Amino acid sequence: MPIISVSHLSKTYRVHTKEAGLSGTLKAIVSREYKTIPAVDDISFVIDSGEVVGFIGPNGAGKTTTLKCLSGLLYPTKGTIDVLGYEPFKRDYQFLREISLVMGQKNQLWWDLPAQETFLLNKEIYDISDEQYKTVLHDLVALLEVEELLTVSVKTLSLGQRMKMELIASLLHTPKVLFLDEPTIGLDVVMQQKIREFLREYNKKYNASILLTSHYMGDVEELCKRVIIINFGKIIYDGLLADLVKKFAPEKKIRIIFHEYVDPKKLEKYGKFVSFQFPEWVIHVPRDKTNTTTAAILKDLPVADVFIEDPDIEGIIREVFAREKKI
Amino acid sequence: MRRYVQIAKNTWDETFTYRFSFITYRIRNILQILTVYYLWTFFIPQNTTFLGYTQSQMLTYILATMIVSSVVMATRSQAIGNDINQGNLSSFLLKPMNYFGYWFARDIGDKAVNLLFSIAELTLLFMLLHPPFFMQTNPFFLVSAILSISLGTILYFYFSVLMGCFGFWSNEIWGPRFVFYQLLSFFAGSLFPLDILPKNLYAVIEYLPFSYLLYFPIKIYLGDLSILMIIKGLLITGFWIGVMHLLVSRVWNKGLRIYTAYGR
Repeated sequence: MPIISVSHLSKTYRVHTKEAGLSGTLKAIVSREYKTIPAVDDISFVIDSGEVVGFIGPNGAGKTTTLKCLSGLLYPTKGTIDVLGYEPFKRDYQFLREISLVMGQKNQLWWDLPAQETFLLNKEIYDISDEQYKTVLHDLVALLEVEELLTVSVKTLSLGQRMKMELIASLLHTPKVLFLDEPTIGLDVVMQQKIREFLREYNKKYNASILLTSHYMGDVEELCKRVIIINFGKIIYDGLLADLVKKFAPEKKIRIIFHEYVDPKKLEKYGKFVSFQFPEWVIHVPRDKTNTTTAAILKDLPVADVFIEDPDIEGIIREVFAREKKI
Repeated sequence: MRRYVQIAKNTWDETFTYRFSFITYRIRNILQILTVYYLWTFFIPQNTTFLGYTQSQMLTYILATMIVSSVVMATRSQAIGNDINQGNLSSFLLKPMNYFGYWFARDIGDKAVNLLFSIAELTLLFMLLHPPFFMQTNPFFLVSAILSISLGTILYFYFSVLMGCFGFWSNEIWGPRFVFYQLLSFFAGSLFPLDILPKNLYAVIEYLPFSYLLYFPIKIYLGDLSILMIIKGLLITGFWIGVMHLLVSRVWNKGLRIYTAYGR
């Protein structure tokens, strides 16, 4: 069942431009020039309940703008959006109770007060029962290990600590639809991992749909089966991450460790040579030939260990954008 | 309702996080009052009148502006413009909550702190200066004055929100705001009672909203107005609240359409 459907969404911004330097400033005072920038340009997609979708694109591609339109912050220039049967921009209270937008770089917490004051306020705003508040807060606090930070004023927290509090504040009302904009930004690897695990749990437990943007491919790889790639405001890929890999990386990487030296000349016939540094040998092999090639290698050569790998996602994404530019 | 209580409470707590700032702000308030107070004691020596005011009436007026403005004009909502410009508005728009309700609740918290301190300071001033002060005992005047103060509070809130909404169209909200508030506080009667102005000018001011923020409720308290004048004044206040409500909702809805949720 589709939870989110977007059709032909466009959003343009009107910004004023200013030339550099003092003369530019003076010019801008007298006559201001405006230009219209398309941030999102005619995009359509559908997301089902319980789906976790990665929203990928370079800086300024239109990811955040799309999330803002989906959560009702921005008025779409063109097109229609349906989230849980609501039109987001109308910001129906019932709709707002079901969603959350978490932005890694922003803050809803009361700066001068301890985070738990914000939590209590959100409890009232979202009409969360005492019982639910207790359980959910307890879960989140335990998972993110912030017990002793609840009573400290927010301004004294570190970036990562604040991000954790931000997540808690945004999830207390257990939204059905979750928009995450760079949820792991600025966090250390351990914490990133925790947040991912947590999001996966959350998705399972509440069958929540999650749409997330991230510059860390690790987030996307671990959480999302499906990705939407966007560049210059247009969707350039929408489908399974696995298919993307097949499409843009038709070869697999086979890495072999030998237990005795092999003459490199004997190795040429097996596949595309990448590197050989005894004892490690790496070749690229077409996807459909991976099995047969591996079998042959195991039979013919003094192999100690074999690894079959997909090329890394980051490389594939780079490849996608590189091709896009050429077109 | 409980959410608004929580917001008011958080605002109260927040004020006391910056104790030093708050205290210096209060000192500035006292100095301002003292300046105007001594100016008038100098202008109206005891047992004389000036433009129809005895010294005691004038000083009561001035001290009353201190209390009334701490209720009517104390506000946090000047931050709305910044919220818009810096994109902080987003986190409010995402919540099932009325944004203006949020600010009104914050204002209530702020007003409570300010009122408390105004009363304390006034008590101090009374002990030090023994100023002549007129105590109103007629319940009709007292109730009408409280009603007028409440309406003035709502009216002022709308003014403040409207000024904040300019943030949708411009980054430069500080300048216009400053000028507007200087004018507003002059026409509200924070420096002197407005009826000492020339008759023609006063006749115009009477139909503008500003005098209903300070001057009018204080005049009711002083018992200077007839029942008819009080009713007329309250109706004019109500009329302006209606006008401001329509204006603010229009401007707000237009603004939201061009809101860009900057920088996040």
